[in-house]
Amino acid sequence: MTLEEAGRLLHAHIDGELDVAKTLELEAHLARNPSLRAAGERLREMSVAIRDKADYHAAPAWLEARVRAAIAAEPGGATTRPSWPAWLNPASFAVANWLRPAASFAAVALFTWVVALGYMRPAEDDHIAHEVLASHVRSMLANRSFDVASSDQHTVKPWLSARLAFSPPVTDLSASGFELVGGRLDYVGDQPVAVLVYKRRQHVIDVFVWPVAAPKLDQTLTRDGFNIEHFAKNGMDYWLVSDLARNELNDLAQLVAEYSAGP
Amino acid sequence: MFATDPMLQHETRRGPPQAREATAPDRPAGERKGRFEQVVLPHLDAAYNLARWLTRNDHDAQDIVQDAMLRAFRFFEGLRGEPKPWLLAIVRNCCFTWLHANRPADTVAFNEGLAELLPSEDEGPEALAVRNSDRKMLNAAIATLAVPFREVLILRELEDLSYKDIARIAEVPIGTVMSRLARARRMLADSLRAIHNFSRTQVHK
Repeated sequence: MTLEEAGRLLHAHIDGELDVAKTLELEAHLARNPSLRAAGERLREMSVAIRDKADYHAAPAWLEARVRAAIAAEPGGATTRPSWPAWLNPASFAVANWLRPAASFAAVALFTWVVALGYMRPAEDDHIAHEVLASHVRSMLANRSFDVASSDQHTVKPWLSARLAFSPPVTDLSASGFELVGGRLDYVGDQPVAVLVYKRRQHVIDVFVWPVAAPKLDQTLTRDGFNIEHFAKNGMDYWLVSDLARNELNDLAQLVAEYSAGP
Repeated sequence: MFATDPMLQHETRRGPPQAREATAPDRPAGERKGRFEQVVLPHLDAAYNLARWLTRNDHDAQDIVQDAMLRAFRFFEGLRGEPKPWLLAIVRNCCFTWLHANRPADTVAFNEGLAELLPSEDEGPEALAVRNSDRKMLNAAIATLAVPFREVLILRELEDLSYKDIARIAEVPIGTVMSRLARARRMLADSLRAIHNFSRTQVHK
């Protein structure tokens, strides 16, 4: 190996790309040649500095939810429904892997809770209630309530429609004290769903919407201090989740039911 | 160009055969989806990091990554070897399609010269410049590198990929990866040193 070759291989050397024989040859050069050694040291320091100081752009948490939803919507994606309840399906355990640390604590708590609950009453609606509540809590913990921030229904609705196989009814209810602040995508009950986000005073209310084949029973639940309202209207299933007082959440449910009844 | 340089160990090493097991040609759709989430989705951060560095903005990186993940899912059967370089190759392709359409100036051909490969005697304070530069300065300097240099630098230093994997992702021979990496480091050091000297002269005025 000539000195010139040795100089040329310095980068490969600090990158750990040389085989043993070449490494030995290069090290012999380095031992004899202080300026080559110094050049190698400078390169190594530079590599360390870049790794230490350059920004690593991790994907935002919501992007993963959106990717999962998009994949689920693919043909050949989630077409086969598991015969087990989804919370027993091994695939749903993978959810824990991708949650950000702050959210995963809540998710683990909720998961424990839903498993215990599931043994007592393994109804599908319980599972859905768990999922929408988990989604709501997760979005609050991650401080990311919406993918599209707008109080304009004509912005939120097309944004959601463009990304879903259905078009959810969207109306700003500021006049009634519920301000529309945005919308987001999520994945509930093995399908991508729309989430409309409303605000009343400091309370955030998530309204989950997706198409449903058969009408279901309306229900009102309280879980861990959160209130949940569920009803179906005009072929759509609605789940409202918030820490808002129950009567106020019920008011919103009435309003949503009214506008989604259509003209 | 030393595309077939026998001195690089990876030239003689073939891809690991065990990873072929990662393909699932005729499994049920649900299982395929679950497998994709296990094998490919964990590399979402790497995908985003690459797209973000290539496009240099969050919004476009988000759209590109979502599109790339969907493509990856559709071509999941084509996965051979390690999932991370496979996914990053798809992301990189999507980024280049986007760059051609939206930032054509970023993708113009450039001289691949070898001159900067050799360490010279007078390159003294380059490492010092990198060490003394703050994060903002360093990030700005990386962002201004031409795309072919920026991508190899990000893949090597931030994703810690081997030359072989980088060659596969960037669709160039391993020798080219090595020369681009060397030039990227040189250009980075030069621009940091320039910024450094400039700010020093400003202070002493």
